[in-house]
Amino acid sequence: MPAATPFLEVADALKEYGAHDLDLCYQCSTCTGSCPWSFVEPLNIRRLIRLAQLGLPGYEGEDLWKCTTCASCQVRCPRGVAIVDLVRSTRAMIGETGLIPQSLRSALGSVKGEGNPWNGKREERNAWTESAGIPRFDPKKHEYLLSACCMPSYDKRSRRIADALWKVLQAGGVRAGVLGPEESCCGEAVRKIGDEGTFTSLGKSNAAAFEKAGVRKVIALSPHCYHTFKNEYAAFGVKVEVHHASEIMQRLIFEGKLKPHKKLDRTVTWHDPCYLGRHNDIFDAPRAVLSALPGVTFREMFRHKKQSLCCGGGGGRMWMETKRGERFSDLRLPEAMAVGASVLATGCPYCVNMFEDSRLGLEREDAIQVRDLAELVAETL
Amino acid sequence: MPYKIGVYVCHCGTNIAGMVNVEEVADFARGIPGVTLSRTYKFMCSDPGQALLQEDIRKNGLDAVVVAACSPLMHERTFRRAAQEAGLNPFLVQIANIREQCSWVTEGKGAATEKAKALVAAAVRRAREHQPLEMRRVEITPSALVVGGGIAGIQAALDLADAGVQVVLVEREPSIGGHMAMFDKTFPTLDCAACILTPKMVAAGSHPNIKLMTWSEVEEVSGFVGNFKVKIRRKAGYVDHDKCTGCGLCIEKCPYKADSEFEQGLAKRKAIYLPFAQAVPNKPIIDKNACAYLKNGKCRVCVKFCEAAAIDFTQQDRVEEVTVGTIVLATGFQAMDGRRIPELGYGRLPGVYSALEFERLNNAAGPTNGVIQTRDGRAPRSVAILHCTGSRDENHHRYCSRVCCMYALKYAHLLREKLPEARVYNFYIDMRCFGKGYEEFYKRLQEEGVRFVRGKGAQVWGGAEWKAMVPAAAVPEGLEDHQLVVVAEDSLLQQVLHVPVDMVVLTPAFEPRFDAEEVGRRFLVSRGADGFFLEQHPKLAPVSTTNEGVFIAGACQGPKDIPDTVAQGSAAASKALSLITRKEIEIEATTAHVQDELCSGCRTCIGLCPYNAITFDEARKRAAVNDALCKGCGTCVAACPSSAILARHFGDRQIFSEIEGLLSL
Amino acid sequence: MSFEPKIVGFLCNWCTYTGADLAGTSRMKYAPNVRVVRVMCSGRVDPTFVLKAFREGADGVLLGGCHPGDCHYQSGNMKTLRRIPLLKRLLKDMGIEEGRLRLEWISASEGERYQRVINEFVEQVRALGPLNLEVRKALPKKSQATA
Repeated sequence: MPAATPFLEVADALKEYGAHDLDLCYQCSTCTGSCPWSFVEPLNIRRLIRLAQLGLPGYEGEDLWKCTTCASCQVRCPRGVAIVDLVRSTRAMIGETGLIPQSLRSALGSVKGEGNPWNGKREERNAWTESAGIPRFDPKKHEYLLSACCMPSYDKRSRRIADALWKVLQAGGVRAGVLGPEESCCGEAVRKIGDEGTFTSLGKSNAAAFEKAGVRKVIALSPHCYHTFKNEYAAFGVKVEVHHASEIMQRLIFEGKLKPHKKLDRTVTWHDPCYLGRHNDIFDAPRAVLSALPGVTFREMFRHKKQSLCCGGGGGRMWMETKRGERFSDLRLPEAMAVGASVLATGCPYCVNMFEDSRLGLEREDAIQVRDLAELVAETL
Repeated sequence: MPYKIGVYVCHCGTNIAGMVNVEEVADFARGIPGVTLSRTYKFMCSDPGQALLQEDIRKNGLDAVVVAACSPLMHERTFRRAAQEAGLNPFLVQIANIREQCSWVTEGKGAATEKAKALVAAAVRRAREHQPLEMRRVEITPSALVVGGGIAGIQAALDLADAGVQVVLVEREPSIGGHMAMFDKTFPTLDCAACILTPKMVAAGSHPNIKLMTWSEVEEVSGFVGNFKVKIRRKAGYVDHDKCTGCGLCIEKCPYKADSEFEQGLAKRKAIYLPFAQAVPNKPIIDKNACAYLKNGKCRVCVKFCEAAAIDFTQQDRVEEVTVGTIVLATGFQAMDGRRIPELGYGRLPGVYSALEFERLNNAAGPTNGVIQTRDGRAPRSVAILHCTGSRDENHHRYCSRVCCMYALKYAHLLREKLPEARVYNFYIDMRCFGKGYEEFYKRLQEEGVRFVRGKGAQVWGGAEWKAMVPAAAVPEGLEDHQLVVVAEDSLLQQVLHVPVDMVVLTPAFEPRFDAEEVGRRFLVSRGADGFFLEQHPKLAPVSTTNEGVFIAGACQGPKDIPDTVAQGSAAASKALSLITRKEIEIEATTAHVQDELCSGCRTCIGLCPYNAITFDEARKRAAVNDALCKGCGTCVAACPSSAILARHFGDRQIFSEIEGLLSL
Repeated sequence: MSFEPKIVGFLCNWCTYTGADLAGTSRMKYAPNVRVVRVMCSGRVDPTFVLKAFREGADGVLLGGCHPGDCHYQSGNMKTLRRIPLLKRLLKDMGIEEGRLRLEWISASEGERYQRVINEFVEQVRALGPLNLEVRKALPKKSQATA
C-alpha cells in the first residue's frame, strides 16, 4: 500500500452532512465484530470510519453500501457513536456526486416520480384500500390514520399483511382511515441511501398531507415508517402520536377489545425487526401479543431482542442483490427451525419479503411459514 | 466599621490577565468608596505577593483586604493566614473569584473585565461589613474509625494502630481481607496474595490498638471532626466469639449447605461457616437463611458438638456506639455483572467466566484446588480473555478500570504455566501497562507465547448455537458443541476472526458498591459522576474529602491496583494521624447567634437545625445556639420570622452589600 | 444590541459553587451574565435576598444547591425547596414572572451541568426581557437588615 496523506477536509465535510460523532470513535472494533456481515462476508465498518476520520480514499467504497443500517454496531458502540448517521452522512455526501449504485437509482427515480420506490403508479396507490373498503381519513370520524407503507399498494404478499391488519383493527373497534394518493413514501430508505433532498421533499409533502387531513395519531404498519414519523418528522413540523401496529394490537388485547379465540397449534418464534427493536426499543409488545394467542408455543431464537439478526433488507439493501447463502434472511430461517419453530413471525413488510424469498431457497419450502404478527392475530379471530 | 480597604488584583500569570484587563479592574476598584489602595500583582499567592499584602496592612493600617484572584476554595486560607500574620483578623479578608468563575469561563475580554469589576465591587462592599471573628478550638478524640476491611482498610488501621491510635475497624463481611483475599497471585511480581495479605490480616486481628468489628455495618454518623459519634450494627452471627475456640467441629458436622459467596458460587459452604480458611477472625457465623434451626426450629447439630457452648441462637443484632476523632472510608468496589452484556454469553454459556470466578478457579485453596477446568471438568485447550468488559463504554462505565489489562496478563501467564498446551488469546483495545514493572510483564507474556488480538471481543456463542446460525463455511474445523466461538475483528489485520475456545474469561468493570450513594450520605462524602467517592482535590488532596476529618482510601475512590490501594491506605492513615496529633482543631467561627432582644421565642429554628444545636431556655423563653454544635449552614437564620438570628460572616448586611455591589454596574 | 440580563446566583459552597469552579477548571465557556454570591448552604438563602436582588437590578435569580440527599448540612436544600413555591407566589403577586427564579441541584462534579444551566437560564431570562422598572421600585425596601 502506498503512503497516504490525510485529507481532513473530507472529515470536516462529512461532519457537515451529519457525521457529528466521527472523531469519537476509538477504533475498538466492536462494530465490525457485531455486524451481521461478520457471520458471512464481513463488512469492515471500523475501517470505513478510520478512513473517514483521516479523509483517506476508501471510505466511499463498495463496503459503504453493504450496511443495512441495522444498528447492531450502534447499540454496542462503547463510545456511543451514532454509526448509522455516519453511514447515512457518508452516503449523502457521495450521493451528491451521483455515485449512488446503479441498482438503487430506479427505486429513487420511482420515489421522485410516483412517491413510492416500487415503480408503481401514484394513482394506483389506493387501489387496495378501496377494494378492502377502508375509508379515507376523516378527523371527525376517525381517531387514527392507518399508514400502511407503500409496499401493500404494489406487492401482493405485503397486501395480505395490510388486509390482515385492517381486519384486526376493525375487530378491535379501532376507528381509522387512510390518506389518498397525496400520501407518499415516508422516505426512510431514501434517506439511508443518501438522498437527503428527496427525503426532505417527501417529508414536507407528507407533513402537508397530515396537516391538511387533520391527523393527530398514526398507526404505522412498517417499523420503517414508524421510525421516520416518530423520530425524524419533527424537522418538518409534524407533531403526531405514532404507534406501531404491534403496540396497538397489544393494547386491544390488554383492554379486552380484541379476543383471539381460534387455536393456532403452532410453534412460533419472533424475529425482531431492526427498526422496531434496536432502533426504537419495542421488544415486549409483539411478544405479549404472541403469548395471548391460543395454541401458540413460543420459542426464542439465539439472536433475539437487541442481538436480533437483521433480515438484510434495510438501508437500501432491499433493492440490491446479495448472493444466495450470504443473505441474512437465508441464515435466519435455519436458526428459527433449529429452535423448533414452524412459524417465523415478524412485524415488518421488508422482513416478510426477505424471508419469503429465502424460504423459496429451502430444501422444503413448507418447513417453515413466514407471517406478520397481524396475520397471526387475524387467523385467531 | 472598616473603611481602609486594600484591593489586590492577581494576574495569575496569564490565567487571569490573559482574559481580564487587570489594570482596568484595579483602577476601577480605586474609585470605590472605602478603598485606599489598589494594586495588581503577578502571583498574589506567591511569597512576595503575600508579603506585599502584609506590608500594606502594617504600613497603611488597612482594616480589610480584598483579593481578586482564584476561587476562595483554593486560597482563602492562604490570604487569611497572611493577614493574620500581619496583625489583621483573618475574617477581614474577602476573595473575589475572578479566575474559576470569570477569566476561565468567559468569552471576550470586555465581558470578562466587566464581570471581574462587578465581582470586585461586591467583594469591597461586603468587606466593608465584615466583623473580626475568633476561631474556636475543640479537642480531638485520639481514635479512628476505619470502614472496610479490605487491603486499604487493613493498611490504614495498622498504620494508625502502630502509631498508638485506638482504631475501630468495621467490616461488613464475616472476615476481613476483601477482594485481595480471593486472589491467588498478584501482578506483575506474581507473589502469592495470601502470603502477603494473611500476615497483615492476622496483625490487624490481634493488634492491641485495633478493635475489630466484622459482620458489622455503620448505621449512623453524627458529630463532626474531632468528635464523630458512630452507631455500628453488630449483626447477629449466632456464635459467641468470646467463647468460640475456632475448632471448626461445628462446620464439619453441619448438615446444611449454601452457595459460597467467597467462592463466587463455584462451591458450597455450610450453614455455619468461615468464608475461607484463613479468615480473620477465624471463628464461624451462622447463615440464618441456610440454617435449618433458624428457619424451622430443627437440627441444633452444631450446639451438640460445640464443647465451648458458643452457639447462641438467641443472639440479636445490637447497635454499639463509638466516639472517634477521625474516619477512614475504605469500602472498596464491586465487579460489574457480566450479564449486562448479553452478547458475551455470561450466565448463559457455562464456559464464560467472570474474573473473580477465574481467580477462585485458579486458587490453590479454591473449589478445584487450583486446577483450571471448565464446569464440566475439562482442561481447556484454548482460552480467550476479553478486556474492557463494561469499562471505557458509554453504555456501562465511561472510565478505564485500570487493572484489567494487568490481571488479564496474569491470567494468561497462569494458564500458560498450568496448561502449557493451552492456546491463550487476549482481546484488547489498548494495552494499558502503566505501573512499575508492568510493561516488562507484558513483554514477558509475549515471550510466553500468548496471542494478543487488537480488537474488542464482540460476541461469544456456544458451539452448538454457532452451527445452527452460520453458513457451514463459517464453522471452524473441528468445532465441538460444548466449545465457544469468539467473534472479533483484529483491527491490525482488518479481518474478522472466529476463534473457537473452550473457555472465555471476562474482565468486568470496577463499579462503586451498590450502596455507595447511601454510604456517601451517611458520611457526608460526595460522589463523582462515575459514582465513586470524590476526593477533595484530584491532585493535591487525593484522600481528603469535603467533610473534614473523613478520608477515603482504595477502590471506593476509583478503580485501583493493590500498590495504589495500599499507598492510599497509608496516606489516609497519615492524614488522620496528623489530625489526631494536633490534639485540637480550629473550627468554623461562622456560626449562628441568637440575639436575645429580638427572639420572640417562637421555636421555629429549633426543629430546623439538623445538628440539634439550638436549645430553648424555658425560663427566659429564648432560643440559644450551642457554638460547639453549630456548623454554620444558616438555615435557621433564613427561617427566623423575627430576623433574630445572626449568621456570623454570612449576615444579611454582608450579603445585601454583596448583592448591591454585584448589581452596581 | 440585544438585551443582556443581569442575574444573581446564590450558590451553596459545597456543591454548586464547587461545581462552578470545576466548570472553570475545565475551561467551559458560558454566558457572563450570572454573578455569584457564595453561601454555605442554599438553606441560608432568605427570601429577602431574592427580593433584594430584584430590587437592585437583577432580571433573574438562580439558586444552586446540592442534590436532594447530598446536602452537606443533611437537609438544608430541602428547606430551600420548600420555600420556593411560596417565594414564587410572592413574586407573582408583585408582578415578577415565575421564570425569573430558578432552583437547580448541581453537584461538585457537575461542571458541565453548571455550564448548561447558566446558558439556559440566561436565554430564558433574556426571552422574558428586562424586569419592569415599576415592579422593581415597588419592591419592599427591606434592605436595612437587622444584622
